[in-house]
Amino acid sequence: MGKVGIIGVGQSAFVRGYPGSIRELAFEGFKDAMRDAGAKTEDIGASVICSAPEYDKQRSPAGVFAEYMGLTPQPTFYVETLCSSSSTGLKPAYSLIESGLHDSVAVIGFQKMSEISSAESQERMGRGADIQWESPFGTMMPAYYAMYARNHMATYGTTPEDLALIRLKSSTYGQINDKAVYRKAVTAEMFTDPESPMSGPVASPLRVGDCCANADGSSCIIVAGEEKARAMSDKPVWILGLGAASTSVNLAGRDVFNGLTVGIEAGRQAYEMAGVTPKEIDVAEVHDCFTIAEMMAYENLGFAKPGEGRDLIRGKETYKEGSIPVNVDGGLLSKGHPIGATGGSQIRTIVLQLRGEAGDMQVKNPEIGLVHNIGGVGLYGNVTILGR
Amino acid sequence: MNEQNTDAIQPVNPGTFTVPEDDTPPELLGGYCRTCRSLYYPPPRYCPSCLEEVESCTVGGRGTLHSFTVVRTKPPLGLPQPYCVGYVDLDGSGLRVFGLLDPERVEDLVLGARVHLTVRSMGHDGRGEARLRPCFTPDEAGEGS
Ligand SMILES: [Zn+2]
Repeated sequence: MGKVGIIGVGQSAFVRGYPGSIRELAFEGFKDAMRDAGAKTEDIGASVICSAPEYDKQRSPAGVFAEYMGLTPQPTFYVETLCSSSSTGLKPAYSLIESGLHDSVAVIGFQKMSEISSAESQERMGRGADIQWESPFGTMMPAYYAMYARNHMATYGTTPEDLALIRLKSSTYGQINDKAVYRKAVTAEMFTDPESPMSGPVASPLRVGDCCANADGSSCIIVAGEEKARAMSDKPVWILGLGAASTSVNLAGRDVFNGLTVGIEAGRQAYEMAGVTPKEIDVAEVHDCFTIAEMMAYENLGFAKPGEGRDLIRGKETYKEGSIPVNVDGGLLSKGHPIGATGGSQIRTIVLQLRGEAGDMQVKNPEIGLVHNIGGVGLYGNVTILGR
Repeated sequence: MNEQNTDAIQPVNPGTFTVPEDDTPPELLGGYCRTCRSLYYPPPRYCPSCLEEVESCTVGGRGTLHSFTVVRTKPPLGLPQPYCVGYVDLDGSGLRVFGLLDPERVEDLVLGARVHLTVRSMGHDGRGEARLRPCFTPDEAGEGS
């Protein structure tokens, strides 16, 4: 088996209320990635379309997109794992190439969350929970992560102020990322100032500032076999490790409550496949839909021991200049979280970092990067390791 | 709290909790696999290990609060604002179950609190029809086992 490389990455700006249709939105990321790869539509052997369908009015968007993007008559299909849909899409793309069925695949993620109202969107995300057993109790995403936060605090002494530090870091980079939806500064005082929207209670102990920004957006990753990647790109980034796991949709069935078992298991697989250890990761994107999610990811991915994630953020070790830079593009918290586009955007960030093309967000000379993308509350987990 | 006439109101998720007509404390209903002796909550129709049908059984109504949150965003399904949800480690069966917590006892919710199950009319079914829901409430001092 040869290597599989990423030869093009793209994303739309993440915005509130994208004015066009979903196919136009998806085209923005696609166009960006095709230009980046210097590819023509006939270079693409197949397309994988990714989103979380509860937000889409369009059913079966794959065929609609393939037609709009000129990717016919090549095969296309749809992949969904809630918030991790587009990193999940990378796995069939990799497999199609390694199997020899295709020599290149476009993985296109999108979400137009403004197709429905914000309140409705919270309720629909709750439907990503178990609609039979949990939704009748009014579950929604912040409530689940809030319970992880409460136990992390009780077990390890993590504080609300530690979580706020994660948001401060995100806003530092959100301000310099022109694709980010939330580009304003966030200060620690805002979390305690009753006049600031950041301090508003959502689900105790999480506050508004602990929650990511909803956005509309799209992303696209163009993947190719080794031969084609070398022919088309001066700087292919190789897929070194792919880990993926699932767990019970009902948190009641889970043993570990201070971290997401899917993140731990997907990480273990990806490290093993890539033959690297957490210490060798130079830059990472982790799934920070809530501040506590980033804190747990530090620990679940082995960047810190369980309970010591707070030391990383207190010591600014996850800033650009630190020992393990994390989410130095603003993360989901500031860049925004258009569900189905998020994983592809995270992969794009790491690819740009490894190529040395991340601009003001560039980490010094990274060689190996990691992407951690979670769907639902730890229902699906993908960890992808990339290298130059 | 329990004075309201709940006779006519239908339970949400029927078959997952008892609705006593006397003073018997309500309990959650789970599934029991006779073959491998596994307990499940919520009850599946089949045991995934044995592929055999499970039978309904009580899994308890008392336990310890493992985690909780007070949700202050707009509640769905006509639930009170704020409403509370949490995980309870049930005595005996050892199952960790998810459910509603008493919204009128917010200040008594702490990790490790002793709680017991109540069944009350809370919220609706999504179409405005009232529903009985199981809801854990903290024990009063000196109450319980
Ligand atoms: Zn069994």
